[in-house]
Amino acid sequence: MLLLKRIFFLILVQQVALMYCDIKAQTNGKEIAYLQTDRTAYIAGESICYKLYVLDEATKKGSEMSKVGYIVLRPAHSDPSLKIRVKIDAGMGYGSFLLPDTLMSGAYEIVAFTSAMKNFGEEHFYHKQITIVNRFDKALDFKIVEPNPKDSDLLQQSNLDFKIKTDKAVYGIREKVVVNLGTFNSKANVSVSVFEEPKIPSTNQSIVETLKNAVGTQTIQRKSIYHSPETKGKILRAYVIDAKTQKTIKDAIVLLSCIDTVPNLQYAITNSNGLFQMLLSNYYNGKELFLTIRDAPGDQNWQIKLEDEFAQSEEWHPKLISNNGSSKEFIVKSQNIVYINKSYQLNKSPNEKLTTDSASICPRFYHCKATTILPSDFVPLNDFPEIAIEILPQVRLSKDKGKYNVQLFNPLMNLFSAVSPAVFLDGVYVDDIDKIIRLGSDQIKKIDIIDNERAFGDLVFSGAISIISKSNEMAGTKPAPCSLRLKNDSINVGSGMVTIDSEYIQNKNIPVFKQSLYWNANLELNATDDTHFEFYTSDNTANFTIKVEGISENGTAISASSNFQVNNSINVIGK
Amino acid sequence: MRHYIYISLLFICIATSAQVNVRTQIQAVDSTFLPKLTGDFFYESKLYLGEQYYNKDWMTGDILLSTGAMVYDKSLKYNGLFDELIWLNETNFGKFKIDKPFVREFWLKNKPYSTVHFKQINLNEPGTVHRQDIFAELRVEGNLSLFIQRKISINRAEFRYVNNVLCQYDVITATPRYYIKLPSNQYLMLTKLRRRAFLKLFPEKKKRIAKIIRTNDLDVSEESDFVKLIELMNNDKTL
Repeated sequence: MLLLKRIFFLILVQQVALMYCDIKAQTNGKEIAYLQTDRTAYIAGESICYKLYVLDEATKKGSEMSKVGYIVLRPAHSDPSLKIRVKIDAGMGYGSFLLPDTLMSGAYEIVAFTSAMKNFGEEHFYHKQITIVNRFDKALDFKIVEPNPKDSDLLQQSNLDFKIKTDKAVYGIREKVVVNLGTFNSKANVSVSVFEEPKIPSTNQSIVETLKNAVGTQTIQRKSIYHSPETKGKILRAYVIDAKTQKTIKDAIVLLSCIDTVPNLQYAITNSNGLFQMLLSNYYNGKELFLTIRDAPGDQNWQIKLEDEFAQSEEWHPKLISNNGSSKEFIVKSQNIVYINKSYQLNKSPNEKLTTDSASICPRFYHCKATTILPSDFVPLNDFPEIAIEILPQVRLSKDKGKYNVQLFNPLMNLFSAVSPAVFLDGVYVDDIDKIIRLGSDQIKKIDIIDNERAFGDLVFSGAISIISKSNEMAGTKPAPCSLRLKNDSINVGSGMVTIDSEYIQNKNIPVFKQSLYWNANLELNATDDTHFEFYTSDNTANFTIKVEGISENGTAISASSNFQVNNSINVIGK
Repeated sequence: MRHYIYISLLFICIATSAQVNVRTQIQAVDSTFLPKLTGDFFYESKLYLGEQYYNKDWMTGDILLSTGAMVYDKSLKYNGLFDELIWLNETNFGKFKIDKPFVREFWLKNKPYSTVHFKQINLNEPGTVHRQDIFAELRVEGNLSLFIQRKISINRAEFRYVNNVLCQYDVITATPRYYIKLPSNQYLMLTKLRRRAFLKLFPEKKKRIAKIIRTNDLDVSEESDFVKLIELMNNDKTL
């Protein structure tokens, strides 16, 4: 009996342990996204300043896992209008993006997520509603999202122990505002926005409420297709399929390269689902990517089908209501302000930049010395077959059924290799040898040849021929059916700090009308001293909101807001 | 009490095994994104008498690439005759000379917790104009660093009949070279370990070094004692 009891007890403990491990494994690596924007209502042509928080669900601290975040801006019942890739560092990323002038007026949704969050379903993405109005829309008969009475207002979501104090309650135009955030119980990183109170109702959750709601989501269902967390950078995901049968192809070798002065290569092999993944380092930012399938059978129609990392399974279908009169007045004012700023060219503040990292490393195909031939050292030759005959004794070109074949002389074997070498044009792996055939001495700047059999990872090539053209010939070529050419987006960056320049404030001849007075994506709160910041009011007289949101070192969400007024009266009453 | 220990052990085992599974899964996924080694096919000539490799058998090793990335657990051999790092690609069983400019350092794992560390060093060989990059074993790192190039040289030619065909073989022997890196980044070279030759390299500190050798009863002609001497010189504040 005692033995039975012991066995039963052991089984019980085992079950509890297994349950614990299962829960731990499921929640392990789960992230929560939160996006703060400088405002909730915009005119097309303005910029949205944002800060993206990617937090670990368990600790509520900045996630160390994902290094890439995605932001999608989409209107109701339609496809996304903007797709932004954000660099995440220690769970935070910030920047700004310009809203195209052509956007239609209406309610828009911003969706923020990471690749790892896809494993838990789109319902775990962060969703935020904003209103965008076209600058030339005079009718203003668009619809806005119906406010949900269940949604608590901003004050209820705030931390009660965090106070924002301004030196006055009412300010004049072009006056300095000094804000004191006091001391917080630990170090924290917050983003601050000061903006005109929009008359358009908005029901977005604060960071405090987002984190609170995330804890409540206990039912986690992992998706069948696993998305690797992007711990080092963007991961390109694509499938190799047979276009005729739509069946996925396993064990296909996919090669990636891009235009450069050195031959570069990266490869991946498709898994049993036909899926392959490639880590795109900073080197590929903003570059055109050339993907091709190595040794794709000529009689079959293999294709590369790219997975859209921004894709959302469903369109956004919110409950919409008509826009009322009070918000119309606000919108017309906003349109006029944008019109004035565009006329005086005062909209330079957010500084959108699309940069590539200069420290990125090229994945070179070879690092050894190659035999270099400069065709300009010889008499002009019409095409590559002529060049091969006259000045490249180690290269042999043959024609079979109208297709060219290239062979390299292997000095170790003392014969021409039966397998074609890797041929690169302007750094790109060439999927069809015919692309280099027409190139003569006038087009070719340099030819590098490696005649030995070479390894690149697990792949073996019978040498390499690299041709660098004088006028970037690769850009003008047409991709083969088994190839894919796509533009890799750049990481969105922008100024983390937007404020009105004091030179504008002092110049009375320039009209300074701003609905967003201050934006700071990275304000550090000190645990020992008070944190201050200051900015100037503009010529825009209105009620303004100071909104502070962020996360502390120990994972406490911070959210607070305060209001002040800007009047045009000369005698402004002090606080 | 014993039951509680058993239960705790069971609990730890389950928790640990869960962690191990997760780790294995992550590594498997991550291997797709690891940097790729590049190199020429290595044709191994059999016309040598003697061992051309520092390590006769394939050793598991890690490589620090010139890009700053690490490549782990590759089957490697260091060829002292050609001063090349040879990699056995276990997918196609081909032997490849890894592109020398691509390798900054590598570690050959002898046994658990025992590794041989090689570093690529740039030096001016006497009588040569160009800088030469060589792989050398790093034995001492400090104020004075000691690198040993595990050089294999052709000693003489020997003719042998193989299947009634007269073949020329090269007899190869180990001829290590010792490079002492000074704080000024200059290298001093010793082709043979001799007390007098070594003392000649440091004429101003000759007496102090001689005293260290005497006090510690070191035989400089022995490699292990020579390594010890460099370590002692690094620790001696008067030098």
